[in-house]
Amino acid sequence: MDTVKEKPRRRSLREFMGEEKGTGEAFGNGAAATHIGEIVESSTTELIAESAHLHGAPSFGQFVRVGEEMPVVGIVFNVFTHSIEPNRRPTAYGKTEEELRLEQPQIFELLRTEFEALVIGYIDERGPVQVLPPQPARIHSFVHSCSDEEVQGFTRTDDYLRSILNTSKVPTDELLVATLRRTLEAHGGSRSYLVRIGKELSRLLGDDYDRLSSIIRRIAH
Amino acid sequence: MLDLFAIKTQIDSMVADERALQDDFQKRQNLAMGQFKRWGPDWEILRRKIEGSRTSWLLPGLLEPMDRRYPLPLRPASISVAATDGSQIFSDRHEISSCFLINIGYVLLHYGTGEKPLMSSKPTLYYREEDIFEEWGGRRHLANRDMVGFKRRLMEVTDVAELALAAREEGHQVLALSDGTLILWNLEGRPQDFKEAYLETTLEAFSDLQKARVPVAGYISHPGSQELVNALKLGLCPLEVADCDRCPWKAENQFAMTPAEVEDLQADVERTGGLPCTPIDGINDAILLRQLLQPGERTPVFQSRSKILEEYGDHYIHFFYLHVGAEIGRVEIPQWVAEDEELLDMVHACVYDQAEKGQGYPVTLSEAHERAVVRGADREAFYRVLRDMYVKNNIKTQVSTKSFKKRHASI
Repeated sequence: MDTVKEKPRRRSLREFMGEEKGTGEAFGNGAAATHIGEIVESSTTELIAESAHLHGAPSFGQFVRVGEEMPVVGIVFNVFTHSIEPNRRPTAYGKTEEELRLEQPQIFELLRTEFEALVIGYIDERGPVQVLPPQPARIHSFVHSCSDEEVQGFTRTDDYLRSILNTSKVPTDELLVATLRRTLEAHGGSRSYLVRIGKELSRLLGDDYDRLSSIIRRIAH
Repeated sequence: MLDLFAIKTQIDSMVADERALQDDFQKRQNLAMGQFKRWGPDWEILRRKIEGSRTSWLLPGLLEPMDRRYPLPLRPASISVAATDGSQIFSDRHEISSCFLINIGYVLLHYGTGEKPLMSSKPTLYYREEDIFEEWGGRRHLANRDMVGFKRRLMEVTDVAELALAAREEGHQVLALSDGTLILWNLEGRPQDFKEAYLETTLEAFSDLQKARVPVAGYISHPGSQELVNALKLGLCPLEVADCDRCPWKAENQFAMTPAEVEDLQADVERTGGLPCTPIDGINDAILLRQLLQPGERTPVFQSRSKILEEYGDHYIHFFYLHVGAEIGRVEIPQWVAEDEELLDMVHACVYDQAEKGQGYPVTLSEAHERAVVRGADREAFYRVLRDMYVKNNIKTQVSTKSFKKRHASI
């Protein structure tokens, strides 16, 4: 019985941390530390990722890139934070977040932020492709936020807008507005870009003038 | 399967019996309270009686008036609390291997600083011949439930000490909190070498904590202990020095008496409905103190007089009861914590704060439990992986027919 017979060397705090990772801190380090999430569910059309930080998910409508070889590109359409333990749910404490961090620090270890993204294409050796990828992103691959250049590069053509309009589970118009506000920003708020997507949207929405004007108004706002 | 219809009549009679007891309960409770108050000023007489008597029940060592109450002290603004809890998969001879597993959950929460908590668990698998069979007192013992339980308890205590010391090393002011008693009374009657080995390891952990001045406390929720009530029972005994083995009110001790003496004693028994000490039977310390303590208040510190503590040296276990809001909890501490006012106040304030944060039960202990717990589904998964690995590696083994039948009962 080793526990009794020999006295083990005293352990440091680090050794107690085990293999479980906290959700409050970025996991891993080095090259991986720039990622914002890790894929935990993956299909051809949708991704679910665990955010590297609690409440640290990319915003609704953001572009994300997943994986290294032939990265998959997606748009965030849902962010949610929940308890990591199935039979425990958060309850109200009546304290501010700051007070809770000081006096109930464990609760932040028991929460996890996840986000879902709609797959709109991928990037191969020739550049962005606005077609669903031949293979879904791998589970556990890292998710990165797309930079302005990457968003610009991916939105040289507007075929992905049809993918957004064709999905059923997403609040389509809301996602369209959020996405296009992001792309407009990546294009430096350019007037010509706004005109271009206006034309594209009027083609896609046909004669639904009210819907079109509401979307465009909200993009340009 | 359990036939609920068949059990129903038995439940009915059980409930009827319980109700009868409850009617009597208030009377007993009032009597106990009266006695408790009565011994307040005369506590030193009771202390001497405790020291001189030989009872069949455990008595407390009194250090000050029993009915004294201590208000809740201020908790240090920044404090860290370390806790562990353990869980296990017992060795099962109906399974493919007699291995067993102990899972220890670790929690270190820092208060007042916003530092990231440590919450983890570490499973250890015991499968070697020397793990499964241990030699104590010249005999080989199979690691049965009892042994695994001992081993797990030992790991909980030594690991919480290590965790607390590691935190101390990094500059935190720490309290080490352990679930359950610090009194290893169940080592009594074990082989001498077994008892010594377990005691030595435990006391070494306490010594390390003492050197670093890190207080350790064992928290017992819903304690059934009745040392204080036992002291009151002793107080009820008309004899100056009680000796339960020779209790004159017991019929078996009356053979040498005159018929007149026996008659007197029998009259006493009929009047009180038992021995002179029985009218407050059925009350425990928590029930008694529930009427006395306000939330946050604690009793004075008492000495436990458990026999095993004779071997504890400087770490002789003391205890107090604390009204944590939801219940009366029992807190056990070594002598060096009991005698250090600052550490004692820290334990008092922190345990209360912990229970308040955990809605009635210390939050670090319940989180440590959550880390440690091995549920039925985990156990199934463990054996499934084990079986798969045995098959993949072509290891010959047998699963008992009983175990097989449990999984696939035919119709």
